[in-house]
Amino acid sequence: MAMNWRIRRREFLAAGAAASAPLVLGPGVLAAPAKKGANERINVGHIGYGGRSRGLAKELGPLVEAGEAQHVAVCDVDEKRLAQGPQDLGPQVDVYRDYRYLLDRKDIDAVVIGTPDHWHGVHFVHAAETGKHIYCEKPACCTIEESKAMVAAAKKAGIASQIGSQGRSQPEAYLMHRYLANGVIGKVRHVECFHYPSPVDTSKTADSEPPAELDWDLWLGPLRWRPYNARHLPGVFRWLLESGGGQIRDRGAHVMSCAKYWMNADKQGPVTVEATGTSPEMGLWDSAVLMNVKYTFTNPDWIMTWTQMPMEEISKRFPAEERTAADLAEEGVSKISRPGYGAVYHGENGACMHWGGDGGTWAERKVRHWQPPAGAVDVYKSPGHMQDWFAGIRTGKKCIMDIEYGAGVANLCILANLSFRLGRPLQWDESKWEIVGDEQARCLMSRPQRHPYHL
Amino acid sequence: MEPFTLALLLEKIQSDDPLIRTDAWQKAGSIGPPALIPLAILAAEAELEIARAARRGMWQIVHTAGAPGAEDSRPAVIKELLDLLGGNRPASVRRDILWMISELGCGKCAAAPVAAFLQDEALREDARCSLERMPGEESVAALQAALETVPREFQLAIAHSLRVRGVEVSLEKYPCQKLVPTKKTAVKRAGAA
Repeated sequence: MAMNWRIRRREFLAAGAAASAPLVLGPGVLAAPAKKGANERINVGHIGYGGRSRGLAKELGPLVEAGEAQHVAVCDVDEKRLAQGPQDLGPQVDVYRDYRYLLDRKDIDAVVIGTPDHWHGVHFVHAAETGKHIYCEKPACCTIEESKAMVAAAKKAGIASQIGSQGRSQPEAYLMHRYLANGVIGKVRHVECFHYPSPVDTSKTADSEPPAELDWDLWLGPLRWRPYNARHLPGVFRWLLESGGGQIRDRGAHVMSCAKYWMNADKQGPVTVEATGTSPEMGLWDSAVLMNVKYTFTNPDWIMTWTQMPMEEISKRFPAEERTAADLAEEGVSKISRPGYGAVYHGENGACMHWGGDGGTWAERKVRHWQPPAGAVDVYKSPGHMQDWFAGIRTGKKCIMDIEYGAGVANLCILANLSFRLGRPLQWDESKWEIVGDEQARCLMSRPQRHPYHL
Repeated sequence: MEPFTLALLLEKIQSDDPLIRTDAWQKAGSIGPPALIPLAILAAEAELEIARAARRGMWQIVHTAGAPGAEDSRPAVIKELLDLLGGNRPASVRRDILWMISELGCGKCAAAPVAAFLQDEALREDARCSLERMPGEESVAALQAALETVPREFQLAIAHSLRVRGVEVSLEKYPCQKLVPTKKTAVKRAGAA
């Protein structure tokens, strides 16, 4: 995975010294990441301050209240959203449109990246190159090239990274993991993921001038230029293949993250990926509305399928478990508020099921009620996704959804969408993170990025 | 069953019924190169949803021609795309075509015509990206040749592409700009004057 053509730190310093740009980054910016003691406060900057990013800032709240973290800066390409930052997070927060000003700050130890998917790879790599610890929203990236670059940058910088597939850190995820790790249903041969359809844009919205508060050039960033269209954002970037990639990326990055973790497959990849689907009949969005994907893993042998279907069919085939008042009171669990997605694990001796897989992850009753016998295997119990990240920053431990794992899950989503776009199955070499035997598909492992918003 | 012909493709892709349009563009790969010019005309001139369907049909042809085993049909698709590139289509359509060409490779036949667009301010960034991805020495040579002939502000972008392709380019002369902030906000820090 060596990327010898990338700009190395030494070269970047040389470049900075020679640049005639308005701001030349000082060498301190490129210092190693801050090593913070158990009691030292970590200064956090937020890259992106839209809907999900504001949620992430809130999730950091308990650590701020405990004096472990402090919000110090926010950046966003939308001035209205940017102005919201100090109102939410306090008057000490500095505001930037261009994230590179934030990365230039030596006093910022860590960044939370909550931007649209097409920016994740570049923001992540640049943050790592400036020595910041990173929490980055899922899915980790949009191309295989970005996956490789992110893993390499994090390793080189020695930073703690956490991808926001927070399902792994949920209390009932721990119970599912423990249940499967103890072989209660035997060896799992099939993980059957299900999800409701991706939406269709029926608005017939034409291109137009961007709103005054939005820096459209900076929103596009690495993407090739095109005129503004109101159906690109906010939030709906998810339904375009270039900037999002449909439900298989938005929720697949959660459900399949759980599967790879619980199957002990974070370092295992598929050998073949075959996707079919239905395209939207109209509108700007081009992600599959319904998609069926089959991932074949070998050594050990198992398959994972991703199937989207109408909600009525999900209700029949995967009905959400009724949780009684007694369940809620005795177990301290919550009702299943997202019954439209999850996975069934088919083992040699039975099956078990969960719903959700993100911030809400619900395990079925028999899993929750399973009592480990003497000698049972225990598994890691995350203290919370943000807290696990902070433990990584303070101790150097690998986070539960380190970029290496996050990129591995993103690769699954990327491969499915490539197979869908190209209309043919793909062969994958996990040892190299490369598609084999298909030159066009190999070409699409990368996507040239607009200057200067590149890896 | 009625054979799917170019005429049928063009008739159905202009249907008012979105289901018929979708079915048509998804079958465009079976028609291949002869469909590219009429689809490009629709992509440039037709009503919004028909233009979108036409563009998707063009991509379908590119993906069909790029499949393993379709090598024989690829040169004809590339030739049609290059012809379209040289015509007077709108920039939005030619931008797409530059990316289509990048997926099909063939530096030998495509590098020089694509490189001509490195001098075109509206299309040069897409041409650069196309060459960055296009396999073969010809695309690297085209980027190298352009480095000294394009305007200064675009030289740095070309230099980046060359680095991606493994060419050593002077960082003193062509510094990397990726971490250099340029865009200031008008939003004031809370409490600031």
